[in-house]
Amino acid sequence: MSLLNQALAWLSDPAHWQGSVGIPNRLFEHVLLAGASLAIATLIGLSIGVWIGHTGRHTTIAINSANFGRALPSLAAIAIAQPFTVAIDPDLGFAVYPTIIGMIVLAVPPILVNAYAGVAGVDRDLVEAGRGMGMRERQLLTSVELPLAVPVIAAGMRSAAVQIIATSTLGAIFGFGGLGRYVIDGYARQDNGQIWGGVILVAGLAIATELAFVLLQRRLTPRGLRLQQPRSGAEPEPERELAAA
Amino acid sequence: MRQTRMLALGASVLALISACTTGGGGASPSTGTTVAPPTSASQPSGTPAGQPSGTPGGQKPTVKVGSDGFYEAKLMAEIYAQALENGGYTVERTGIGIGTRSVSAAALDSNQINLKPEYIGSGLGFYAKTDPKCAVASPAASASAAAAPAPAGCTPTGDATANSAALQALLASKGITVLTYSPAVDTNAFVVRQDTATQYSLAKMSDTTAVQDKIKWGLATDCATNALCGAPGGALQSAYGITQKTIDGAKPLSACDQPMVDALKAKTIDLGELCSTQPDIAKNSWVLLADDKSTQPADNLAPLVRDDLLAQVDKTSFEKILNDASAKMDTATLTKLNAQITFDKKDIPVVATQWLKDSGLVK
Repeated sequence: MSLLNQALAWLSDPAHWQGSVGIPNRLFEHVLLAGASLAIATLIGLSIGVWIGHTGRHTTIAINSANFGRALPSLAAIAIAQPFTVAIDPDLGFAVYPTIIGMIVLAVPPILVNAYAGVAGVDRDLVEAGRGMGMRERQLLTSVELPLAVPVIAAGMRSAAVQIIATSTLGAIFGFGGLGRYVIDGYARQDNGQIWGGVILVAGLAIATELAFVLLQRRLTPRGLRLQQPRSGAEPEPERELAAA
Repeated sequence: MRQTRMLALGASVLALISACTTGGGGASPSTGTTVAPPTSASQPSGTPAGQPSGTPGGQKPTVKVGSDGFYEAKLMAEIYAQALENGGYTVERTGIGIGTRSVSAAALDSNQINLKPEYIGSGLGFYAKTDPKCAVASPAASASAAAAPAPAGCTPTGDATANSAALQALLASKGITVLTYSPAVDTNAFVVRQDTATQYSLAKMSDTTAVQDKIKWGLATDCATNALCGAPGGALQSAYGITQKTIDGAKPLSACDQPMVDALKAKTIDLGELCSTQPDIAKNSWVLLADDKSTQPADNLAPLVRDDLLAQVDKTSFEKILNDASAKMDTATLTKLNAQITFDKKDIPVVATQWLKDSGLVK
């Protein structure tokens, strides 16, 4: 039986959809952890990124520190965090908290760098025009810079979300549940149907997340911007990120 | 400009893919069922004996040693590897520690490794699961309490000689030989901390049945499919009345290894599946729950060797090297060596070398 057939057979077995080890529960655990990690990473990355983008101060150190998160292997980040989190809470601190920390380390760089690039990349003429109109700094940020930076910021968050979804499978190595459980346990039992069923689920979730964020991005992009750009919601971020970093 | 970049990216990806497919013959040990078993032609370079039909005796082909993932298995594999090197053989170690028994057995089956240490009791249980000779009438029958007895030679017992013979009988058709088993024994050990034992009055496994929902369990990742652990009809479920719900709710960790010990110490779990030779049990004054229903078999160590490797070597001297090493090992020594690895943080090859020297097996 081909791998695909084995995976489909595993996915279509009703026994795999029930109970605490079933797909719905694992999906729930996975999304919960990913959501929590994304929320915290967004809080950190967005606030710092917008601030350095707006003020233009400490950009080098902020971006390089954030990029350290890209260089650190996520598995190492989780393993390093574990002894500390386990002392705080033996139950959740064994697998859940370290995995969240690992995911935050992974997700902050794209969010922070894109937030910086988005805000700093806003046309200076518009910012000056705003100042000329008497806008205060906060108004400038909320009325001019942030709305115009939405496409770039959203692209960063989208990238971070998908990375988190795919990489939180590592938590299963430390005993966490989630969809990674199927990959790890499937490997331990040499059950190809389970491994590839898990892979299909994770990939499916990642794609669904990507689409959800595309819709969200479209929703949040100001109408004027959307009408202006012929390729609406286009990703200028690769060039922008490089220019910024 | 953008087009050129896309072309360059596409070209480099193509180059990468073609490099990967031509280069890495036997690179991944884990996909035993999906990758076509490598023929002798695709063995790693440095193998003088690629002949498909072994001319008996005299040659010293590369021995591909492998093992399960936990440190004791890796230690035994390393001991066998160094003993063979001392005997003039070239040894390849990429298969050491590749995963659970399912993974290493698949690797042995497909000739990705040709030697691995095995525990004859649980090994017998593992191979009996998939052997047609040992198939029970129906899956439902094995799950009920009054199951039909399995055919003789399919259930591991407390008799090491019987286990070894039965294992050899099952492996003969796979072209694998079980060499002489060692006095060293290592069985599954279900362990709790002293405080848990006191709180729930736990001294033997049967004591856990009533309180199973109150304690946090930590079990091996393959426990649910292992008859000596949590498989339906297996040790935990049928002998000790542990429910599927408890087994599913357990933290899945690497048994016989550091993660399980860490979880037990940190109180993430209250009951952990360890191995009887793990020195952490004695060091932390943990309570090894007695196996009062005798579910764990005589689990002596023995090397499994592929027959096609034996056909290429001088069988007598090859087996003697391995059997001598097995004979000199015992349970107490194994526990002591494990302590050097876990507590003294010594490297496994260093521990192996020192023991081989001290035992006079290697100069």
